[in-house]
Amino acid sequence: MAPPAPAARALTCPACGGGVELRAAGYTVHVACQYCGSILDVTDPQVKLVTQYHHQAAQLEIPLGTRGALRGVEWEAIGYLRRSENGTYGWEEYLLFNPYHGYRWLVKVRGGWSLGEALTVTPDWISYDTLAIGPEAYSHFFADGEAQVDYVLGEFYWRVAVGERVKTGDWVRPGAMLSREENAQEVSWTRNELLPAKEMRKAFGVEPPRKIWPPLPHQPSPYGAWLKTGLAIGAAAFAFLLVMAVLFGGTGWSAAGSFPIAADGREQSATLGPVTLTNRYQKVELRAEVPRLENGWLDIDYRLVDRATQQAYEAYGAAERYSGYDSDGAWNEGSRRSTVSIASVPAGSYDLIVDYKGNRWSGASSSSSDSGWMDAGNQPEVQVEMRQGRIYGSNLFIALLLIALPLLFALIAHATFETARKNESDFASTGDDDEDDE
Amino acid sequence: MSLHLPCPNCGADVVFRSPALPNRVCDYCRSMLVRSDAGVARVGEVAALPFDVSPVQIGMRGSADGKGFEVIGRVRWAWTDGSWNEWLLLFEDGSNAWLGEAMGQFMLLWERPFAKIRSRYLRDIAGGRDAIVGNEVQIDNEKMVIADAREVVCIAAEGELPFTAMPDWRLYSVDLRGRQGECATLQRDGAEASFYQGRYVTLAELAPRGLRAIEGWALPAYAA
Repeated sequence: MAPPAPAARALTCPACGGGVELRAAGYTVHVACQYCGSILDVTDPQVKLVTQYHHQAAQLEIPLGTRGALRGVEWEAIGYLRRSENGTYGWEEYLLFNPYHGYRWLVKVRGGWSLGEALTVTPDWISYDTLAIGPEAYSHFFADGEAQVDYVLGEFYWRVAVGERVKTGDWVRPGAMLSREENAQEVSWTRNELLPAKEMRKAFGVEPPRKIWPPLPHQPSPYGAWLKTGLAIGAAAFAFLLVMAVLFGGTGWSAAGSFPIAADGREQSATLGPVTLTNRYQKVELRAEVPRLENGWLDIDYRLVDRATQQAYEAYGAAERYSGYDSDGAWNEGSRRSTVSIASVPAGSYDLIVDYKGNRWSGASSSSSDSGWMDAGNQPEVQVEMRQGRIYGSNLFIALLLIALPLLFALIAHATFETARKNESDFASTGDDDEDDE
Repeated sequence: MSLHLPCPNCGADVVFRSPALPNRVCDYCRSMLVRSDAGVARVGEVAALPFDVSPVQIGMRGSADGKGFEVIGRVRWAWTDGSWNEWLLLFEDGSNAWLGEAMGQFMLLWERPFAKIRSRYLRDIAGGRDAIVGNEVQIDNEKMVIADAREVVCIAAEGELPFTAMPDWRLYSVDLRGRQGECATLQRDGAEASFYQGRYVTLAELAPRGLRAIEGWALPAYAA
């Protein structure tokens, strides 16, 4: 087996005499000397000086010759371009090379990095402002730009010249940008994929800024994915609650009865039923109302007894109401109503046994000597009502609110991000383009 | 069947593998040899190949469209803005194709008889007219765009070849590109025109074996 071919060709800069290493020999056309910046033509064995410069070569964030692995392939930075839109809105491009994988671009715009690959296919127009490569759709973001080269260093597979201009246009989708460059001879397309800060740190040891604001054109909203997941989880949670409500809730049935209350205050008993509970489990709501109640209370013991098993479910309720006069005038407190519930009652046929007992409040301020609300003349009675309980609508509402609240915050953050991102576009819908077109 | 003959210049053993490939550069003395019924004649000497870091080399094998091939020859072309390699692939069924290697990208091209191409525009170019970059051409049912048009010059060659590629051989070359990665080249040599058509490929999809080892670079996973 032949020994491996050497990886680089050494040459001497005719302008400054510095040693220049050619890392993509056979492909490289122009080299900008790493010492003096002079541009050399290396297409012939005899190196020719194209443009002589004598400036100190710039210190690069990624020094040429640095290697880093991106997405499983090792790349060497061999060329560097600083470009701008007529001197403003500058950005940087590193040319990456691997003899087995060809070329890629490392593009740095406002601190954010993207990996670019020249396309061999031409995008299809889907609509007036949308392009597609296979299944990926891109919407128009920048139009009619003009990019110029402000500074070069290292080697390139074409003739580079400071001041060289191309017409540009850009289309974006979250995470990727499609860039078109056109000169008099040709049109070329590059697909730039956003590189997460973590990847750049690992590959080339550069530290991208924590936050880029306004966002880059192809920067996906960090809240987007969260929001998507959050919505899915929220929807699932709410669906679950609804299913619970249907399974354990339900409406339509109620039983009621009125029972007299004895004046002597003895314990009485009444039975409602039979009632059939059809859901596998349900909440049973028991309501009692004592219309004539005044300055006294009614104790109520409920027992819900399964006819088949004699299993009993018990609950206790009380209605109490007091009123009178004092220095502030008339007052009253308490309620003539009592509501209690029994949770998770299994399906079956039930009798509701109600034991109740009326009481008078002896401290009543009324001076009369009658026996109060329980007097037979008042025809005191208790109206008992039994309902198959629902999962309260209010509970459902609170749950929904708890689910929706963080989503709402994420939605606002997402909308802010997207508005700031789109405002940079030549196709911004908000019409405050003028601020951005300096 | 391969034909082994001694180089008329240096006596080294040279191999001719296909009647379709009458030219051969002697590996030792760089003589350009042409085989005919009369035997092998030396028609000149080709320049040494300039150093490059191409991952392809003579002897590399691979496959395309389900057919195995071996790289058996190369021509290096140059124009005012650089140079590139055209590697000759000999397929197991005896046919051949070119693997163009420029700017780190690869094109797989098969020769087609130019007489079969019904395009008025290309015919005009073959007749001597200059191609205009950006113009559209219809070939069969595909629209292609003229991506490049320029004079190219052969600077070096090695291995077996279907033609005599001598240094300073000048051609007018027109590159065309389709929307889906199709590509084609029209070469005009005086009154003669040759046409090559194919597509962009990646090195990986050719499943190459025997890639050239380059110091300090790991072979790609698919070839290791």
